[in-house]
Amino acid sequence: MRISRRNALGTVLGAGFAAACPAYISRAAGTRWASLKGQSIVVNWPSHPHYDVAKTLIPEFTAATGIKVELDEMQYLRMKDAQVLEMSKPQGDYDVIVYVIMWKTEYVRRNFLTELAPLFANDELAMPNYDASDIITAYYEGLGLVGGPRGYLPGPGAKLYGIPYGAECSVMAYRKDIFAKYGLTPPKTYDDMLHAAHVVKEKERGMGGLTQRAQAGHQVTAGWLYHLSPYEGQVIDDRFEPRVADPAAIKATEVYKEFIDTGPLGGAAFDFGQCINSFLQGQSAMYCDSISIFGPARDPSKSKVTETVGYVVHPKANRYSGELGGFGLAIPRNSARREAAFAFLQWMTAAQQDVRVTAQGGQPTRWSTLDHPDVKKIYPVDVYRECLRISNPDWRPIINEWTEISEKVLGVRLSEIITGKSEIKPTMAVAAGEIKQIMTRAGYYKT
Amino acid sequence: MSLQRRLTPYVFAAPAVAIMVIGLFYPVVEALRLSFYEVRLGEPISPQAFRGLTIFLEAVQDPSVRDSMAVTLEFSVIVVTLEMVLGVGLALVLEAPIRGMTVLRTLFVLPMMIAPICVGLIWRYMFDVNVGPINGWLSILDLKPAWLAEPGLAFFAICVTDIWQFTPFVFVLALAGLQGLDRSAIEAARIDGASAWQTIVYVKLPLLAPILMITLLMRVIDALRGLEVVYAMTNGGPGLSTELFSLHIYKSAFVTQRMGYSAALSVCLLIVTTALSALLLTRTSPLRRLAR
Repeated sequence: MRISRRNALGTVLGAGFAAACPAYISRAAGTRWASLKGQSIVVNWPSHPHYDVAKTLIPEFTAATGIKVELDEMQYLRMKDAQVLEMSKPQGDYDVIVYVIMWKTEYVRRNFLTELAPLFANDELAMPNYDASDIITAYYEGLGLVGGPRGYLPGPGAKLYGIPYGAECSVMAYRKDIFAKYGLTPPKTYDDMLHAAHVVKEKERGMGGLTQRAQAGHQVTAGWLYHLSPYEGQVIDDRFEPRVADPAAIKATEVYKEFIDTGPLGGAAFDFGQCINSFLQGQSAMYCDSISIFGPARDPSKSKVTETVGYVVHPKANRYSGELGGFGLAIPRNSARREAAFAFLQWMTAAQQDVRVTAQGGQPTRWSTLDHPDVKKIYPVDVYRECLRISNPDWRPIINEWTEISEKVLGVRLSEIITGKSEIKPTMAVAAGEIKQIMTRAGYYKT
Repeated sequence: MSLQRRLTPYVFAAPAVAIMVIGLFYPVVEALRLSFYEVRLGEPISPQAFRGLTIFLEAVQDPSVRDSMAVTLEFSVIVVTLEMVLGVGLALVLEAPIRGMTVLRTLFVLPMMIAPICVGLIWRYMFDVNVGPINGWLSILDLKPAWLAEPGLAFFAICVTDIWQFTPFVFVLALAGLQGLDRSAIEAARIDGASAWQTIVYVKLPLLAPILMITLLMRVIDALRGLEVVYAMTNGGPGLSTELFSLHIYKSAFVTQRMGYSAALSVCLLIVTTALSALLLTRTSPLRRLAR
């Protein structure tokens, strides 16, 4: 197996920090959290590339603090059922949960989560060198704050309930060799993307243009959302009225379907794993989705295209606008071991650990990680900063009803559209009506 | 007969009945109670949440409920019919005591032993458009269908998977039935000059009918409740083309978190299943025939 320079550098970087950090962490944590030694916490943990890397650090946390950690690992979309059931009990089994951004508003409204500001204000528990201001602003506000405008945007009334960890924005990855072969320039606009998709589909045998998520349910909605925001479309407006039948949303749907038609074979059924693998295995020329591709793309055990991937910011349609999403860590209100849970949350998201996880293929949480010289050598940091700059905190409405809208309305109607079962305009009008029913039932239009 | 002797069978049956009451009837009654309330996952049932029959009315009027029931009925008719034909056919072929039959019978039964969720994952990769072996073989003919990405093909794929998994169930029961048949009737047919085909059609199958009816009943009930395979393979898509009713109930419970509505859907499924079962039982009376 050929080992690339990048992988060797990443391994050395990770090993170096692994050797240096425990001593520092032990000194910092040993006295502050001495009273927590011997406790055990249970963490609900997703199966995800970032968390697969982060998991390797947990034994060091236990060695440094004496707090044992038990992981309840599951597929990320299935975590919500388990979390809701546990957090509904008078005392739950989970001490730390990993939540997906779209669940944060519901969890806070149902009084499931512990507000973190009082914990950070507790000198006996808070790490003195934690530096929350170092957390990437878009992630801190998008993943962590709840209670602001519309219930989920930063602003007056927002409070901190989680720390981003495995947060993400969107990026465009493309095959430099394929683009060079057909004289294509790295896409800056959606017109560039569509042109490249058609050229590759017509001329490169066995390869599709853009790989996307498209499986019925949450995946097809996520795939569609990547195009909705650049065309200035919305799912619901400020009055919570559905806007999925508006011209902008119709245009985004047309473009999404065009990418499916010019994409890899079977793309209309891809979940996220199949979407990313289609690119990594050389079956697609472009990928426009989560930045979680950075790690696997340079891993020769997962990617056949380690040396031929280029990255640019999510292209512009009417505007530059990309995803803001991913995961965060939170402490359930009904946890019996909140102090130990808080220690775990801080330690995992501290600066030293963030650099180590990023160096091994995880996703950065802090500005300092992006500024680290060794991370800059292996991560497309300049592109990443641009992707963060254009990330849209209102990329999807993070309301209680979002899961139902995403999976049972848009997740069905969009799937019918991309598989050719129905036409775009009438189907999106039906979807708008169904969303309106859900919002009415939930009481959004009461006067 | 003394009172003690008359009560003895009931005393022996009492523990089993108690377990059934606790393990079966209580959850069903609770689900029925829940179906009259609008309750979210994790919330207790409160009197303010009572909605009565309006939840059932909403379920019946929901087009997606009718669509998923139609898909479920179509799926059940197709897979159960083919499983019965293939299962009985295999049993008739493998009934004869020839060399290696034990090994063959074991192999044919294996699919039934695999957990349904694993079956779903296995066949999801079998039908994968790029790496699946089915398309690997079909590529010889320059064919590469996107099995799970087109509504008709996805429905075909879940049918194939269910038939692969549960034909052995029919095979096992039919084989056991065939081996328990009265050999004198078959001998008499042979002496009377009946051909092999005539013996099967006019002697074996009629004698096997009660067992086949029970097998049919069990397969119909199971097919109507199918969830794991379609969950793993297609998640009900593309669109709603493979959304079986149980999957629709699952999504109502754990996606929309409407536990009361999901309970109402479950009651609807119970009514449909009970009606079909009653129809089969009253038309065929298999238990009465077996008792003769």
